[in-house]
Amino acid sequence: MSHLPASIDFRANVRQVPPALPAAVQKATAKFLGTRAALVDALGHDVWQALRQAGHDLRLHALDNLDRYLEQAERQVLKAGGHVHWARDAAEAQRIVLDIAGQHRARLAVKAKSMATEEIGLNQALETAGLRVLETDLGEYIVQLKGVGPAHIVVPAFHLSTEEIAALFREKLGVEAPAEAQQLTQIARVKLREEFLRADLGISGANFLIAETGTIVTVTNEGNGRMCCTVPPVHVAVVGIDKVVPDWESLTVLLKLLARSATGQKLSCYTQFISGPPRSEAETGPKELHLVLLDNGRSRILQTAETRETLLCIRCGACLNVCPVYNSVGGYAYGYPISGPTGVLFASQILGAKAAGALPFASTLCGACNDICPVKIPITDILLQLRHRVVEGDAQESAVAPYRLQLAAQLGSFALARPWLYRLGSRLLAWLQAPLRSGDWLLRLPPPFNRWTMARPFPAFAPGFRAWWRSRSHHTRGRS
Amino acid sequence: MDSAREEILKNVRRALGREPDSALPALPATARVGPRVAGPIRDEIEALFTEIQKLSGTTRRLAGRDALGPALAELVTAEAVRKATLWTTPDLESLDVAGALQALGVEIVPPQAGKARVAECELGVTGVDAALPETGTLVLRSSPDRPRVVSLLPRVHLAILRPAALRADLHQAFGDVQGDGYCVFVTGPSRTADIELTLTLGVHGPRSLHVWLLPGC
Repeated sequence: MSHLPASIDFRANVRQVPPALPAAVQKATAKFLGTRAALVDALGHDVWQALRQAGHDLRLHALDNLDRYLEQAERQVLKAGGHVHWARDAAEAQRIVLDIAGQHRARLAVKAKSMATEEIGLNQALETAGLRVLETDLGEYIVQLKGVGPAHIVVPAFHLSTEEIAALFREKLGVEAPAEAQQLTQIARVKLREEFLRADLGISGANFLIAETGTIVTVTNEGNGRMCCTVPPVHVAVVGIDKVVPDWESLTVLLKLLARSATGQKLSCYTQFISGPPRSEAETGPKELHLVLLDNGRSRILQTAETRETLLCIRCGACLNVCPVYNSVGGYAYGYPISGPTGVLFASQILGAKAAGALPFASTLCGACNDICPVKIPITDILLQLRHRVVEGDAQESAVAPYRLQLAAQLGSFALARPWLYRLGSRLLAWLQAPLRSGDWLLRLPPPFNRWTMARPFPAFAPGFRAWWRSRSHHTRGRS
Repeated sequence: MDSAREEILKNVRRALGREPDSALPALPATARVGPRVAGPIRDEIEALFTEIQKLSGTTRRLAGRDALGPALAELVTAEAVRKATLWTTPDLESLDVAGALQALGVEIVPPQAGKARVAECELGVTGVDAALPETGTLVLRSSPDRPRVVSLLPRVHLAILRPAALRADLHQAFGDVQGDGYCVFVTGPSRTADIELTLTLGVHGPRSLHVWLLPGC
């Protein structure tokens, strides 16, 4: 995604969802959930639950002492010969990467998949400055060719058919492309290989940042992560401040949780541990390493105890796979690079209630995400807090719900507190609905309520509860 | 630049109610979940090879260093190898892998010859610094005689494994490498399922991974 909208209209986005999308989404998520479940079963329920609890405790400990671990990570990266930059927001992060690119007169940047760089709109900033930026994860490469953002954080292009991708390659790359996955993959390999060798800048994110040794950890399957961090002369890693973990020991837990939850693997194909630039030229690898520590709203998320655990997230995507809403609408409806339940938590807090106030309501609160989350984030509790923030405001933000909604809520509570008014109201409704009534249903309501009846009938108002209760108790008494 | 650093740290501390000199509490004692105990070496190798095969890697046990030449001859033919690059660790030097390949007519490209030339190699030969049977993982460290590009750029990766490299689990392997400047844990050949969830190999890294066990250490 090159830039983010000023305001996310989830309903309007949902109307744009192609009819074929949900089936493709469900095929993919079912597959991930199936392989994940098999591996979790093999490990045993108790071991898995112990791992989850340990993962939760370790991540929370890292957040609760984040300042100390950030300072330690910085110290270690500097000691290892790397450069460390701090970015308060997206604009500052863009400027830092642009400066590095400028110093090296970079013209071509290759990128490994990174949600942090999607979040700050880095591609667009670099392109505006005249650089070519190439996504190299196969799925990201495909969606970049198509000119759209990722539809899933793990498999960004899973909603496109092999035929669509072949057509895209023919159109954009000008090559003969058969609709066959292995051959399309080979075409991408050859194209991207040329670019890797030519690139001036390799940009990645990080799955974790180990404070103990200042180690950037990337977890990938394709090898593009390794290419971006090995082949170009300069490596820039843009890392959210929430990604810090205390030590290597923590990773023995978190790596086990991540690969199983994300792709149903015991360990992803390539897990890289990068502590500073190469210590000698003969090792091969980049000459320079830059770590950009990105805040962009994360320290604000920490402020509210009820929402702090948002930052425990290890971006595995399991909550997307299990979410009934995500499975019905796919990733784009969320209007943010991270979608699904965890995307809602991040988008509504990083963008603010005004821009993303619709998102906390894009959930059934069924809680499947809570149960699957490998680090036990209480997702639905946080969603409720965020809904509360939208409607009534809290210590962080004032209410942004439309005035009409607030007025309706106030009128409702006024009437409910006055029984005579409530009785009058329900009698009035029973009388008013008579001309609209068809059996037990109201088929058409006047505006603005017709937005409901355009899609489905509305159940007719039943007779008042008091009347019903009187007739019922009379009836039962008569029987006994 | 410094003001950004100070401001972020200040905001984090304020959010958490901490002072710059607030104490760091001990890590949760839950970190070590289920350490794995290594079985007999034969079972460990069996488990490692089973996992690697499941990931579409190829495994082979060589009786001794005399078996290396014929095995290389087969590999060079099967994978149509014309150029190769390799680590120059004492172990690979003493096995004279480079000499054996040259005898088969394969051109040896030094890893430091530049990325474009290394990328032309069909074959990269490395050792294995640690191996994890549980996941089928090979740990490759980085040093002047273990250049990173060897296991990355060529289409075929051959890893020569010695039994001494086996480790019980991540805890043990991390103990070896956590002071390193770089290391990579390789679990099977490069893979993706990005096109309609069809598993395809060799998208960016090697398409085939061969792991050969040689006795000794």
